[in-house]
Amino acid sequence: MTSTTVPAAPPAFTAFSPDNWRLALIAGIVISAVAIAALPSGVAFWITGIMMALVAIAATMNAVRRRYYGGLLVAPAIAVLFVMNIFPLLWSLGLSFFAYQSNQQTIRFVGLNNYIKVLTNDLAAKDNWAALTNTAMFVVFTVAAQMVIGFLLALLFSKQFPLRKYLLILVLTPMMLSVVAAGVFFTYYYDPTFGILSYIMREMTGEQFILMDNKAGAVAGIVFADAWMWSPFVMLLVLAGLVSVPKYLYEAAAIDRVSGWRQFRTITFPYIRGLLMLALLFRTIEAFKIADLVILLTKGGNDTMTISYHLIRIANEQNKTSEGAAISYLMLFMVIVLTNLYLYLANRRTQGN
Amino acid sequence: MVDKVSIWEALGFRKASGVGEAGWGYTLIVAIVSFIYFIPVLMIIFMAIKPQDVALSVPPTLSPTSLFGLIPDAYVFSPTLENFTSVFSRSMTAGGAPEDTGFDRYFFNSIVIATVSVMLALVIGTLAAFGFSRYPLKGNDTYLFIILTTRMLPAIVVIIPVILMFRVAGLSGSYIGIILLYTAFNLAFTIWMMKSFFDELSLDVEDAARIDGSSEIKVFFKICLPQVVAGLAATFVFGLILTWNEFLFALLLSGTDTRTVPVAMNQAVSSGGRGTDWTLLAAIETLFLIPVFLVTFFLQNHLLRGVTFGTVKR
Amino acid sequence: MSTIEIKKVTKRFGDFTAVKDADLSVGPGEVVCLLGPSGCGKTTTLRMIAGLERATSGDVIIAGQRMNDLSPQKRDIAMVFQFYALYPALSVGQNIAMPLHYEKLSKDETDKRVMNVARIMHLTDVLDRMPGQISEGEKQRLAVARAIVRDPNCFLFDEPLSRLDVELRHSMRGQIKEVLTGLSKATVIVTHDQLEALTMANRIAIMRDGLIEQVGTPHEVFAKPANVFVASFIGTPQMNLVEADLKSFGNGKAAVRLAGNDIEIAADPAVSRLKPSKVTVGIRPRAFTAASEKSGDTIAAQAELIEPMGAETLIHARTSAGGEIRVVIPREMKVKIGEAMHLRPDPKQTHFFGEDGKAVRA
Repeated sequence: MTSTTVPAAPPAFTAFSPDNWRLALIAGIVISAVAIAALPSGVAFWITGIMMALVAIAATMNAVRRRYYGGLLVAPAIAVLFVMNIFPLLWSLGLSFFAYQSNQQTIRFVGLNNYIKVLTNDLAAKDNWAALTNTAMFVVFTVAAQMVIGFLLALLFSKQFPLRKYLLILVLTPMMLSVVAAGVFFTYYYDPTFGILSYIMREMTGEQFILMDNKAGAVAGIVFADAWMWSPFVMLLVLAGLVSVPKYLYEAAAIDRVSGWRQFRTITFPYIRGLLMLALLFRTIEAFKIADLVILLTKGGNDTMTISYHLIRIANEQNKTSEGAAISYLMLFMVIVLTNLYLYLANRRTQGN
Repeated sequence: MVDKVSIWEALGFRKASGVGEAGWGYTLIVAIVSFIYFIPVLMIIFMAIKPQDVALSVPPTLSPTSLFGLIPDAYVFSPTLENFTSVFSRSMTAGGAPEDTGFDRYFFNSIVIATVSVMLALVIGTLAAFGFSRYPLKGNDTYLFIILTTRMLPAIVVIIPVILMFRVAGLSGSYIGIILLYTAFNLAFTIWMMKSFFDELSLDVEDAARIDGSSEIKVFFKICLPQVVAGLAATFVFGLILTWNEFLFALLLSGTDTRTVPVAMNQAVSSGGRGTDWTLLAAIETLFLIPVFLVTFFLQNHLLRGVTFGTVKR
Repeated sequence: MSTIEIKKVTKRFGDFTAVKDADLSVGPGEVVCLLGPSGCGKTTTLRMIAGLERATSGDVIIAGQRMNDLSPQKRDIAMVFQFYALYPALSVGQNIAMPLHYEKLSKDETDKRVMNVARIMHLTDVLDRMPGQISEGEKQRLAVARAIVRDPNCFLFDEPLSRLDVELRHSMRGQIKEVLTGLSKATVIVTHDQLEALTMANRIAIMRDGLIEQVGTPHEVFAKPANVFVASFIGTPQMNLVEADLKSFGNGKAAVRLAGNDIEIAADPAVSRLKPSKVTVGIRPRAFTAASEKSGDTIAAQAELIEPMGAETLIHARTSAGGEIRVVIPREMKVKIGEAMHLRPDPKQTHFFGEDGKAVRA
C-alpha cells in the first residue's frame, strides 16, 4: 500500500455521523418495532425496509472509512441471500415449532410435536420413511448412472478430433431442456400405446410392453430420464479435468512405457479427482431434491414417492405448512451431515496424499 | 519416401504421432454416440414440425425425410411450420377464431427475468467471491458453508415464507420479486465458483499493480477480472440454464404479467382437458431451447476452460 | 548397438516445414547436441526421434531398426523433458520407479535400482517428497534420474538445463556429462545454449530454419564454420563478418578491400578459385593483434566503446568505412576511447565466405 493515512477511529456511540452504524441500528430497531406494533403491516414492512437500508448505508460508510473492504464486498450478496433465503428459512424453521396451516388463520405453539409426529406417528411416519428410502434409492441410482455415463462421455470427448465442438454441444443439449418438457416427453417415449420404446419392444417380443406398471420399471424410467438430462453436467466437469492434464505428462508416460491403466491411475485420475468429487457433491444435493420428474412420470405411483414430492404434497396441496417445515429441516439436517462427511472424507484424501 | 499407411490410419486413427489427438475415424464414432444421445431431443424437434394428425401415429413417424429411400415411408412425415405459428396464435375453443396466446409476452418475460437475475447474481456474487477470497473474515468457511446450505433444501421450504413475505410487501407477481428470488437462487453457485477462480490467481501480479500505484478498484477491474473471464462465462451459462428452465418458483410466484415460458408451457399443455397437445408442446420447447443453446454454443470454449481453471489445484 | 540415425527426415505442419531433409547419425556412446536459435526445428527433430511426432517423410532408425511407424512405447528410449514432466501425484521415488513397471521387476529389484539411481543423482534425501515440494535443481535431477533408471536404446534431452540458474546449470552440465560418459549410449541433447553444446557434446549439429547447417566436433564448428550462419552463431563475442571486395589472389595471399582498407592477407588456397567478387571475411575478435602503425595487412579503426571483461577487454572499434569491428585484447593493453588502432588479423583464423554464404576452404 502506497497510502500511509491511518483509518479514522470509530465514531463515539452518541455522535450523529453517517458512519455511526451502531446508533443507526438501535434507532432502526426501535422505529421498526414501533411501526410494526402501531401501523398496518403493509406500511410497517416498508418502514422496516427503509430502516434496514439506513443501517446498511451507515454500515457501508463505516466500512469505507475504516477500509473493511472484505465486508463491503460481501455485504450485497449477504443482504440478498438474507432477505430471499436465510430469512425465509428461519421463518419456516420457526413455523416448524407451531401448528399452522396456510389456509387457516390459527397458529399455535406446539414445540417439537411436529418433529415427533413426522418421525413416529404411525400414518405420517410410515409415508415419510417410505419416501425417504425411495429418495435414497434414487440418489444412489441417478448419481451412479450420471457419474458413469458422464465419465464415459468425458473420456470420449477428451481427445482432440475434427468437429469436436459441434458434437459436444449435441451431448450438452439435454441439460438445457426444460424439465417440464423433458418429463412430459418421456411419458410419451414410455407410453404403452404410442411410445417409441414400447413400439420397439413390441416389434421385438410381439407382446405389449408397459414400462411404468411396476416399481422396478417406474424407477428405471425415472432414473433413465434423470441420468440422461444430467450426465452432461458431470461430463462437463470431468472433461474440464481431463483437458487440464498437461500433454507432456502423457508424452513422458509414453516414453516411460507406462501402461494405459497405470497412466489413468497415476496421471489422469489425480487431475480429475477434485472435479469428480465436486460433481458428486452437486449431483447428490440435486438428487436429494428430485421431485419434478417423479411428478411428471408417475405422480408418485408404483411406490416412487420421494421426500421432496411428499413435501410438496403436504405443504402445498394439504396445506400442512408446519409439518412440511419439520420434514424439510430433518432433511436439511441429513444433507448437512452427509455433506460434511463428504467434505471431511475429501479433505482427508487430499491431505493423506 | 512415402510412409506405408495402414487401414486404421487411413480411417484417421493415427498411431504414433500426436498423443491425445485423433482423426476423422474417431469423429465418426463420437458422432454416432452423440447422435444416439441426442435422439430424445431430436424427437422433440421433429414433433415440433409434425402435422398434428400424425403426432401419435403407430408406428411412430421418425423422420421428415426418407433420406433417399433409406427410411420406409411408414416412418416418414411431411414437415410443417404450423405448430410454431400456433404457439403464438391459435383457436382456444373447437372451431373458434385464432386468438393471441400471449406467448410472445412469456418469452419476453423469460428472457428479461433470466438475463437480469443471472447478471445481477454474477455482479453481486463476483464481488462477494473476491471479498471472501482476498479479505477472509473470521469464520470465512462457515459463511461459505451456510451459503451452500441455501441450495440444499427443496425449493418448497423457502417458498411458503417467500410467498407470505411477497404478499405483505406487495411484490407478488412483480418482476422485482421473482428476479430477486432468482438472484439469490444463483448467488450460492456464483460465489462458490468465482471464489475458486480468485483463489487460483497469483497475488504477485496484484501486489505489483498496487506498487505501481493502482487503487484497489483498479486492481480488481484491470488485473483480476480479465483473468477470470472464462469463469464468468462458465458461471453465466450454468446460471442461465438453471434459471431459464426453473419451474416451481415461477409457478408459485409469477403473476399473469410475469409468467415465464415453463409455467405457460405447463398450462398450455395441460389445459382444456384435451390431453397433451404434443406438437404444440414440442414447438414451444424447441423455440425455448434456441436461446440457451446459442449462448452455450458461443460460450462453449470458455465453459471448459472456466470449469478447469476454477477447480483444479496445482 | 545403441545408435540413432535419421535419414532425409522432413516434418511439415500444414504448409509450414519445420524440419527439412535432416541427416544425422549418432554412434554408441556419442553425445550429439542439436543447437540453434528457437524455432529452428531442433525440438521437432528430437520429438521425431522419440516418436512423439511423426516424420512426414524420411527414416528414423534407432538401434539399427527403422522405427518410423512405432509408438514411443515400442522404441525403448529415455527422454528428459524441458519442463521435466514429473508426475505430480507421485513421490520422487515413485517417479523414478515409473519406467520400471514395464519390465515387471520384483519389488526388491525395483527398490534397489531406484535407490542406486537416487544415490547417483543425490536424491536419496527427498525420495518421499512430492515433485511440488522439491527445489528446481532437484526436479531437474529427478527428471534425469527417471531417464537413466532403465537401460534404453538411447537418451534424448530437450533443453534439459534451460530452467536452472547459471550456477546450477554449470554444475549440472558436469554431472550430466559424467553420467552420460558412464552409460555409453547414443544421446541427443537439444539446446539453444552454445556453451552447453560446446562443453557436453562430442559433436554438434547446428540447425537453422529446419535445416542442419553443419555437423562437427565442437572444435570443428568453432574453427571451421561451414557458413556465415554457423560462424556468427558459435563463439562469443560474435565473429566479425565484414563485407569485402576480393581483388586478386597471388602467392597464397588475397588482396581485398576491407572496411575502407586495402590489405593483403594470407588465405586458404581455395580462395584462388574465386573470381574477383564480393566476399564476406570472418575474423574472430580474439584473432587480432594491435600493430603500432599502419602497414599492408592492418585495418585502421577507432576505439569507440570499451567493455572490460575481466581477464580481457572487448573493444568496439569503428572502421573508416563506418562498420564496427569487435576486438578482444589482453587486459594489460590500455586503449582509450577515440584512440586510432591498427588491427592485424591472424591469417590462420581468417575465414572467407563466398557470395552464397558458404565457407571457401580446401
